[in-house]
Amino acid sequence: MTAVQRAAGRRRSTWIRRRDRRGIWFVVPFMVGFLLFMIVPLGYAIYTSLYTTKIIGGTTFSGASNYSQTVQSGEFWSGVVRVIIFACIQIPVMLAIAFFFACVFDLGVAKFGRTFRTIFFIPFAVPAVVGAVMWSFLLEPQFGPIVHLANAFGFSGTNFFSPSLLFSSIIVIVIWEWTGYNMTILYTALKSVPRDVVEAAILDDTPLWRIILRIKLPMVRSAIVMLVFLNTIGALQLFTEPLILSYFETGSVSINYTPTLYIFNTAIAGDQTNLAAAAAVILGLVIVVISVGSLLFRRRRGELA
Amino acid sequence: MSAPPVQAPPAAATAPVPAPQSRRERRRQQRLAEREDGIPAEFYGLRRGTVPLLTGLAFVFAIFTLVPIAWIVINSTKTQANIFETFGFWFARPFSFFHNFSLLFQNVDGYGTYIQWFGNTVLYAALGGAGATALSAFAGYGFARFSFRGSRVLFYFTIAALLVPITALTLPLYLTYAKAHLINSIWGMILPSMISPVGIYLMRVYVDLSVPRELIDAARLDGAGEAKIFFRVALPLMVPGFMTVLLISVVAVWNNYFLPLLIFNINTRYPLTVGIGLWSERAQNSGNAQLFPMVVIGGLVTIIPLIALFLILQRYWRSGMLLGSIAN
Repeated sequence: MTAVQRAAGRRRSTWIRRRDRRGIWFVVPFMVGFLLFMIVPLGYAIYTSLYTTKIIGGTTFSGASNYSQTVQSGEFWSGVVRVIIFACIQIPVMLAIAFFFACVFDLGVAKFGRTFRTIFFIPFAVPAVVGAVMWSFLLEPQFGPIVHLANAFGFSGTNFFSPSLLFSSIIVIVIWEWTGYNMTILYTALKSVPRDVVEAAILDDTPLWRIILRIKLPMVRSAIVMLVFLNTIGALQLFTEPLILSYFETGSVSINYTPTLYIFNTAIAGDQTNLAAAAAVILGLVIVVISVGSLLFRRRRGELA
Repeated sequence: MSAPPVQAPPAAATAPVPAPQSRRERRRQQRLAEREDGIPAEFYGLRRGTVPLLTGLAFVFAIFTLVPIAWIVINSTKTQANIFETFGFWFARPFSFFHNFSLLFQNVDGYGTYIQWFGNTVLYAALGGAGATALSAFAGYGFARFSFRGSRVLFYFTIAALLVPITALTLPLYLTYAKAHLINSIWGMILPSMISPVGIYLMRVYVDLSVPRELIDAARLDGAGEAKIFFRVALPLMVPGFMTVLLISVVAVWNNYFLPLLIFNINTRYPLTVGIGLWSERAQNSGNAQLFPMVVIGGLVTIIPLIALFLILQRYWRSGMLLGSIAN
């Protein structure tokens, strides 16, 4: 920047700056709420996590002891590992289905695309609680109609709440809940792929599957990265579905099945709020590390601008 | 009048494609160029069975999607005994829908009244959603069109909040309320619902796309105040984004389970999600089996308003999705 430019900039900017300063009033209401309902509680939770409350002796400062207790807790980590495995299976399967149908509808190679798109989106409007309740009824070992069907087809004694099938049942429920939403986002992203590229490929007699994998897929890569990211954060906090399933079949889901269940049960049922606060902070850190780590990794590989 | 009126000259003279072309080929190319909405399926050179096959696959997934919905519709008409004893995917006598529905207005077994939970949910979703949308519109506009001191830092701070999991935010809220004696306060539910980093992000992107700086500057030269410019000039242009954020926020509050589960311990404050969760737990574990038909019809009545809202406002959530995909 030359001196002249800088001087001109300064002259112009007095007016602009005074005007721009007024912009802060648009942001203040949100920021006040952000401070009161995010920053303050987070700070208070960290503060709480450093203390220990005992029935005899009251609340005392205990430093990192709640943290070391959580870090050494096998129950907490087994939950963390479980949700990571859950994310590694559920998200690829769901995104593959979502991308497949997004392509099919985008290319218009199936009939009634519009109707199907609307139907697929419906579960997004269903609260997770109600979705899990419906699936619990359907899968219930004693009276669930899907179990009846399985029996009729020769799979007698199928128990979707048993330790071996519970995990898959939850995966199916979450896939049911979220595939339509992911498909809709991918469908919209695909719509922005320039048409002439596809036209050129068609005129070259490129087969359909190759158009999908070589042209469409690379162009919606950033949307897929974003979806992986959002779904991972969601999957690591898995809570509602296992909790509701546990209501329907007592004992089928351990109280520490996922980290969020661990935190919930530690805070409410166990009444150890200090310990729960430490676990919440650790879970938050685990998730932030995973998501920021994957962002940095992708940035280094040049996948994200 | 979109088709080019000029007759296509001989292919060799103009087209960059190598010369020898059948007439069929040329016509195909021309028809392709005339289509504006999309490329019709017959151009992909698919085998005959492909379109029926793909339609069939979509049909299978649609069945999978609709099975639970069909089940809940059918079983809302059944008595408690029939829910368990008759085939789940067909109706059974007696027709008990209206009886089940009437139970939603009663406080059965003292666990709470559905209609009250419904009212609570509407209240929380309306106030929380409206507040979130208003705050997002203000802040999104502020971030997009003003560069005051620290605006970038504050915006990145807001976006960083997207990374913090709900669990790690909700438990702290609960602990804070317990300290501040806000347990069971409806404001403890409504006010945090108004804080929506996603909403801020979407509104900022939307303002960037749809509210030209020149228009704002022109209004300023005409002597309009900033508030007036926002309400008279910017806001009308922001309506589609505004509706999208409203829709997203209302759904988020309507479906929220973890926060109300933690902060409410008297059933007159419950929203639908917590009430239905409580019913299903009690029905199974306390032997209150008469609650089962209520869980079913309660679930049905919970999802109908949202599905209706989505079908009516399809235009907006479609544009919201577009926003989401442009934004990255």
